[in-house]
Amino acid sequence: MTAEVLEENAPASRLNAGRILLLTPPAIVLLLLLIIPILNILDQSFRTFQAGRVGAVAGGGRTLQNYLELLDSAYFYYFVETFRISFIGTVISVVLAFPIAYLITRLRSQFLRGVVAGGLIGIISVSTLVRVYALLLTFGAVGFGRPLSSLLGVTMSSSEYTEFMVLLGLVYFHTPISVLILIGSIQAINPRLIEAAQSLGAPRWKSHLSVTIPLALPGIGAAFVISFAVCVSAFVIPLILGAGRVQFVSNLIYSRFSVVSNYPSGSAISIVLLITAVLLVIILPWIFSKIFAKSPIFARVQK
Amino acid sequence: MNRIIDDLLIVLLLCVIALFVVFMILPLVVAVTMAFDGRNYMGAFPPTDFSLQWVHKFFGDEFYMKGVRTSFLIAFFTMIISTGVGLAAAVALADRDFPGKDLLAALFLSPLVIPAVVIGFALLLFFSQIGVFDGFIRLLAGHVLITIPYAIRVSLAGLVAIPKSTREAALVLGANEWKAFWTITLPLAKTNVFAAAIFAFIFSMDDVAVSLFLSSVDAYTLPVAMVGMMRSAFDLSVAAGAVFLMVVMTTIMLAADILFGIGKVLTRR
Repeated sequence: MTAEVLEENAPASRLNAGRILLLTPPAIVLLLLLIIPILNILDQSFRTFQAGRVGAVAGGGRTLQNYLELLDSAYFYYFVETFRISFIGTVISVVLAFPIAYLITRLRSQFLRGVVAGGLIGIISVSTLVRVYALLLTFGAVGFGRPLSSLLGVTMSSSEYTEFMVLLGLVYFHTPISVLILIGSIQAINPRLIEAAQSLGAPRWKSHLSVTIPLALPGIGAAFVISFAVCVSAFVIPLILGAGRVQFVSNLIYSRFSVVSNYPSGSAISIVLLITAVLLVIILPWIFSKIFAKSPIFARVQK
Repeated sequence: MNRIIDDLLIVLLLCVIALFVVFMILPLVVAVTMAFDGRNYMGAFPPTDFSLQWVHKFFGDEFYMKGVRTSFLIAFFTMIISTGVGLAAAVALADRDFPGKDLLAALFLSPLVIPAVVIGFALLLFFSQIGVFDGFIRLLAGHVLITIPYAIRVSLAGLVAIPKSTREAALVLGANEWKAFWTITLPLAKTNVFAAAIFAFIFSMDDVAVSLFLSSVDAYTLPVAMVGMMRSAFDLSVAAGAVFLMVVMTTIMLAADILFGIGKVLTRR
């Protein structure tokens, strides 16, 4: 009652002025540090590259050259490789994360559940660079690189082993995150459904295949989308573990700045990567929702 | 038959999980052990003898120490600015609905979706064009931008949890908006505001991608210094630096949890 009276009596203009005052600093930060710089690289991406110049000639014409050269196989290859390695890394992460998440939710002792989840959060909160460097030491020449590469039948300096290192990096970073995402969706499943399937004679593996996994599909989808979107824009992992042999699109952008100082080309690749990252976050969930809606198992269990 | 498949799968599963646990923990153990390697070259793991030589080298090297000082300074100022600006945005967003609120909220969180390299590249080019070449200012700007979404999110979660009636009671009893904020809203949301500040500090210290672009010869963060060393010298002082970074971050998080109970923010839903 009082709330309603207050709402009616509150002078709207004063409240709005206060709100505008509050929103001004964050709006300025975003405008100055995000929107204008992004629009700037959008503009730069249509300019002609001039060696030794930061930014393009002011009066120069516009060109699609920077985008067209990305279609060239040498550049396009970076995109294909980024997507391919990210996809493999994401699939391994999510597949590995599922049974771990399931087991955590089925732990009877609350203390043990807390310890495992706490351990995962602890590992995630270790500095990114520290984890990447730790992987480099462990699976590089200093650590178990030699025996592991000979076990895989490749040499340690081969591009296959480098790619393996990058994959290890992606899996190391994304499995714990996927586990934490999946715990939520598996916890929401009523355990009686699985018990019912088993008491009706289904073996365990079959009950999980036909009950647990379909019910956890939205969680699996979410884990996949988040991991894949982050993998595609990965930078530090390929920078350190890729050793210059395996490079992602992000690394290509960095070398545009640090090696050749070609800002218009770097801008064009940045714009493409930006659009890709945003589209992945928007499109992948949409695709997943379509698949789930059509999946007969999912629809049946939902009922 | 099904029983056998079940049992086999369970054994297989347990093996995979055991392997996973080893995979998660082993690298950190290797890195920490190697930081105390007693050999003066990069020998294979495990070290044959131990010493503090790499730790001494790390703390005695002005190149690293400059990075450490810059990292702390940048993280500190980033924390202050991001928490302040983020709290302002959160207070505005937590209030009643207004047209464009969702759009604004999405915009404020958008730096989370944009690849860090794109942010770094865009800021670098922008600063070069307007003539800002000071590494410290560039780094601070970049770190504020990437930590603000977290500051807004965490503060907003705390503000939304406060029952509207509490603040309205204060207003009915004669407090003005300003006083109601300082005596009611902020004290009730303080755990989340502290958490926002700590996250801003930690994420600032952790950043590599944006910092690599914005650093200059005399202003660079510790992670940037470490990446530089990783590429130029095969030297275990980087491992000592990694241990230092781990200890600093863990201490900050544990201290923040003990002093302000920010762990609740992570576990509470």
